[in-house]
Parts: sequence; C-alpha cells; structure tokens
Amino acid sequence: MLLANFLDARTIHFEPRILPREEVYLHIIKRLCQKHHYGDQSCIQPTLEAILKRERESSLTYPTGIAIPHIRMEGLADTLIGMTFLQNPLDYDGIEVSWVVLILTDKSSSKIYLNIVAALLKLSQDKELVAQLHSLPDGQAVIHRLQQLGIVVGSDISIRDIMISDPVKITPNATLGELDSLINEHKLSMIPVANANNRYLGEVNILDVLKVGVPDYLMMMDNLAFLRSFEPLESLFEQEDKLKVEQIMKRDRKTLSPDASIVEAVYQMIQNRQRYYCVVEKGFLVGVVTAMDIFRKVIKA
Amino acid sequence: MLAALAIFTVTYILIITEWINKMLAALMGGFLLVLTGILTQQTAFNAIDWNVIFFLIGMMLVISVLRETGIFMYIAIKSAKLAKGSPLRIMMLMFLVTAFLSAFLGSVTTIMILVPIVMLITGELKIKAVPFIITMVIASNMGGAATMIGDPPNILIGSATHYTFLDFIFNLTPPVVIIAAASVLLILLLFRRNIRVSVQNRAKLMSYKEQNLIRNKRILLISGIVVALMLVGLALESTLHLGTATVSMSAGLFLLAISDRKRVEQVLVNDIDWVTIFFFIGLFMIVESLVKTGFIDTLAEQVVSITGGSPRPTSMAILWLSGLFSAIIDNIPFVTAMIPMLEKLSTYIPDQKMMDPVWWSLALGTCLGGNGTLIGASANIVAIGIAKRNGLKISFREYTRLGILFTLVSLAISALYILLRYF
Repeated sequence: MLLANFLDARTIHFEPRILPREEVYLHIIKRLCQKHHYGDQSCIQPTLEAILKRERESSLTYPTGIAIPHIRMEGLADTLIGMTFLQNPLDYDGIEVSWVVLILTDKSSSKIYLNIVAALLKLSQDKELVAQLHSLPDGQAVIHRLQQLGIVVGSDISIRDIMISDPVKITPNATLGELDSLINEHKLSMIPVANANNRYLGEVNILDVLKVGVPDYLMMMDNLAFLRSFEPLESLFEQEDKLKVEQIMKRDRKTLSPDASIVEAVYQMIQNRQRYYCVVEKGFLVGVVTAMDIFRKVIKA
Repeated sequence: MLAALAIFTVTYILIITEWINKMLAALMGGFLLVLTGILTQQTAFNAIDWNVIFFLIGMMLVISVLRETGIFMYIAIKSAKLAKGSPLRIMMLMFLVTAFLSAFLGSVTTIMILVPIVMLITGELKIKAVPFIITMVIASNMGGAATMIGDPPNILIGSATHYTFLDFIFNLTPPVVIIAAASVLLILLLFRRNIRVSVQNRAKLMSYKEQNLIRNKRILLISGIVVALMLVGLALESTLHLGTATVSMSAGLFLLAISDRKRVEQVLVNDIDWVTIFFFIGLFMIVESLVKTGFIDTLAEQVVSITGGSPRPTSMAILWLSGLFSAIIDNIPFVTAMIPMLEKLSTYIPDQKMMDPVWWSLALGTCLGGNGTLIGASANIVAIGIAKRNGLKISFREYTRLGILFTLVSLAISALYILLRYF
C-alpha cells in the first residue's frame, strides 16, 4: 500500500506561526474531525485529551525531528492521518521538531499503524527530502511527491523472508545412492538439483526415487490387488550406483520467485497439491519454501 | 469442387502425418468448409452421424464401468496362469483373449488393458515382451473385425448401411474365426522354439492372486447383466427400431447412474475419449463436402467404368485396395471417405443383394489391413507408445516383418471367403 493513498490534501497544513504544541495538535484534530464529519466537540476535545495523556506516558518524538502522536479509538474502523509542517520548530525536551504527524487508528489495527510509523521514520531520516517537503506549496504537492517516490506502508513479506536459503541440494551427476543418503540424513522429501554454479536444473523428490522401482506399465493398470510383491521395487537399492540423479529428476516442476508473496505461494501449493517449491531467481537456486514454513512463520507467529 | 478437394486433401495429409493433432486438423478442416461457404453450417452439422457419435460415447461409458470391476485383468491373468507359465502357450492364449475382448471392447481399449499386463508377465518371466506385444496388436485388429462394435470402421459401416449387429456376426465372425485359427498356427510355427523360463520365475507368475481383482461382485454381476442385455438389444435392434446409439447409451447411462456418484464426473472427464469423438465429428463434415460437390459421384462413376459395375471384381478391388490403404494410413478417415463412395456405387447395381460382398470386403479390408504396418491402426500406435514409455523400442521393420505376414494371410483367407460364400 502506498503511503500517499492514506493522505488527504485537506489535512496537510503548513504553519508559519509559532504555536504551542497543544494548538498544533488541535488544528490537526479539527481538520481531521471536520473532514470526517465528526465536526462537533465530542470528536475534538476527547481526542486532544487522549493525545495529551498519551504524550505524558511516553515520548512521541524521534531524533530525526518528527513527532508522531497517535491514539487508538474504539469503533473508528479506519486510519486517519493529518500533518503539519512547522516553519518554526517546536522544542520537545531538547529535540527540534518541525514535522508533526498525527494518526488516529482503530483499536484493532495495530499493524497498519506500526507500518505507517516505520515508513514515516524512514522518510524523516532523509534530511534533503524533508526540507523539500517543507518547501512545497500545499498538501496536494506533498501527496504528489510521496506518490512519485513510491513510499510504501509496510513492506509485505515475500517468500524470500521465510524460505530456507542455502538448502540441501544435489548435482545432476550424483548417483541415486548419494541422493538416498541425503534424503535419509536430512529427512527431506524433496531436494533441488543444481549445478556447481548453483544454477537451478530441476528437483527430485521421494516419489521420483520410488518410481524407479515401478515401471510405467504398472502405472497403467487399473488395480494392483493381485500383486503381493514386485521384485524391481524391492531391489531398488541395486540401482543405487547405476542411476544418476539426472535420469530421474523432474525438469519441468513449477518454481517460485523469491519476490512472490506468501499468498501466491499458498495458492500454488493448494492449486497443485504440492507442499514444497524450489525458489529460483534469474535461473539460480536461492532457496526452498515449504508449507510447514509458511504455517510456522506466518500463521503461528 | 476444387476448393473442397483442396481442403479435403490438406486436412487428410495433416491427419495422416499427424503434423498437428488429428482432432484439431479434422475440426479445422470441417469449419473451414463452412467459413469458405462450400458447406452451410446446417449441411455440415447434418452430415455428422450422431448414431456413431453416441454409440461410441455409450460404449466408452460401459467400458469404463466394466474396467472398474477388474474383470478384464482377471481374464488376462487367469489365462497366463492357465498357460502354466509356458511362453508359447501364453502367447497363443493372449492372442485369443485379445481377439475375443477386442470384438466387444474395441481394439484400442483392449490393447490399453492387456499390453501392460503382458509386459508385467514377460518381465517376471524374464523373456522378451516385443513378440507378445506385436501378436496382440494383430489379434486386436482381427477381433475388432468380427463384430459391428469391435472396430471403428465397422461401427461406421454399420451405422451408414442397413446391416444389423447380427448381419455382422453372420458375415464377418466366421472368416475372422478362421483367420484367428490360422494365425495361432502361424504363431506356433514362428515361435515354436520355446524360450526357457526358470522355475523360480514361473512360480512368481503362479502366485498372482487374480481373485483379489474382483472387489465388488455385486457391480460385476449387474454390469454383466447390463452388457448381456445390451448385446441382446443390439441383436434385436432391427426389430425394436431403437438405433444402436440408443442401446449403448442406455446401457452406459444406467451403469453410470448406479455407480459411485463421485466417479460420474471422473468418468465423463477422463474415460470418454473426447479427442476421438471430435475427430469423428470433423471427419464427417469434411467428407460431406466431397459428397455435396459431386466429387464422390465422379469417383464412383470411374470405378463402375473400370469394373463394369460387376460385384465380383469390385469386391476384390475394394478388399485389396482397402487392405493396402489401411496398412499405410489410419483406417478411420479412409472408411469415412469410402462409405459415401460405396453408397453411390450401389445405385449403379440393380440387385442390392450383390452389394453385400462389396460392403463386407470393405470391412475386412480396412480392419485387417490395419495390421500391415506400425501405423495402420490406432491399436498399433497405442501399443508401440506403451512399449516406448517402458524403454522398449519396436522398430518399423521389426513390426512390419510380422505385420505383413499376418496381413497377407488374413486378406488371402478373406478373399477366398468372399469368393466362396457370395459368388
């Protein structure tokens, strides 16, 4: 989500006067309340009091010269942002603040608020940019500038953040025996195949290994109930030195990009009934992502 | 007429060479005829023989439920055990089982069920699978020739003519039985140097528990009754005036309705060979253009002027020519084009009885000729494909060496039969 999309030109103000802190807040709150039809005292006064109370409890200023007072309001069901650029900085216990951003958010939406704060903090570190914003003529110009910069709220997590980077891998000319020991040792059901330069070539999974002992003609039968044992399957190990990984690996399995979103990975997993994906970037293997990783790191976290 | 002929020729070349998918080629050709105004959409659609289309769909439904019962695998494994593991006896028995099943299931389905089993058996016995596969392909095309429902050419002929299911049995089953018997003798001669099989490997084959394959006796019983009723329905078709498609669809829909509800969708999506169905639809449209533009008339006139309209040379010419053509090209498009030609031809022959040997010659020639080469019939291509996926390469030469021999023997017997019985 773009930060610019959260802003409204009418709630962005440039203040040439020297005003006390409360006055600054009051102006912002008034503008927010007006815009959102809470234009009566029941909106303005309690909000101001809540902010001042919050301010007494903990500092709302950051060393980069920005103050971000905020409160959570029951039943707001929205996130509202108002800001004032001060020509004459305010003194907050020794920190010079020239940019006040006030955020009103719903009780339940902590994540959006935190992400907005993070985006603003990052912005405020860029002295040149902040100066530029101060010199703009109006709110519309500020929104336009932020839009141009493409400032996003909360970088969405991608596969890269949760994948197993540097996974166990195998080369195509390794033998079936070597593959078997890797599977055994690491308790894996899928291993990516890559060459010495880490270029992705395919993958090999536990079913590909078992398939060595089950010829195609057996797969064509409707029913195997008559067969109690099958020698080629039971003597699979005899193939361990003869077969190379490249003979059984699958080259056409779908892979994911590290920039893919979590929801896309989940979509692919469900759609293709596949719990593991190799993560490939520009032809190189960069990781493996499993349904269990997503479950643990995203759902449970 | 030239434009129609051009579209027909290009489409048939694409179908025969399979440069693009057969079904795609046939449908594209069919609709191109409508686009170019050679046929109106209505004429093109009217040319589709819906009796053939629904008969095929009905049979596919019946077969898919029957397959589920495990009866076909049971028969195959039981036969191999009856042969007590002797390769030659297995080969001969499998030949007969394949021919018999093909007469009712169609050659392609039979091959798809039996070839994997024979590969398993030869694998366990540690003997070569290729001679078994080739002889089974030959058997499947022979068996298919025996009945109206065995092979697509016969289904097409049966639907286009007044001949009934029983007519096919009376006229085609006897020669096919003789041909099959002769072929078993030929196998005995060719493969008499029996291959040795170790006791240990034979024991593996004998330990198969084929009785486990029959999981649901109730469904098997019901399917058996339905299939028997279907055959009775087909036999009585001329007196009941139902149409063969209605008989097979009734059987298929009934079996589907009583089977597992979840399976219904699976059967409709996977077990009905829609590619084949649409291939037929396209073919009917294309051939109609030759009829409408008068090309078939001209061709029939030519044939009459050469043979003098006499049934005897006409029958012989049709038998050997269709045998030759079916060996080198797919016999389905060939028969589809031949049918309107023979229909036209019959208008030049005063006594309609005399057309009988001509039609039976077409049926025998196309079905048996399909054995000639690797690409003569769909069953051949399917069997070679299965073998290839299992690492067995059957070369054109390896197949044709046996194929030509069996084809010549069967066509010679057919010629003798036609001459002795009808003239």
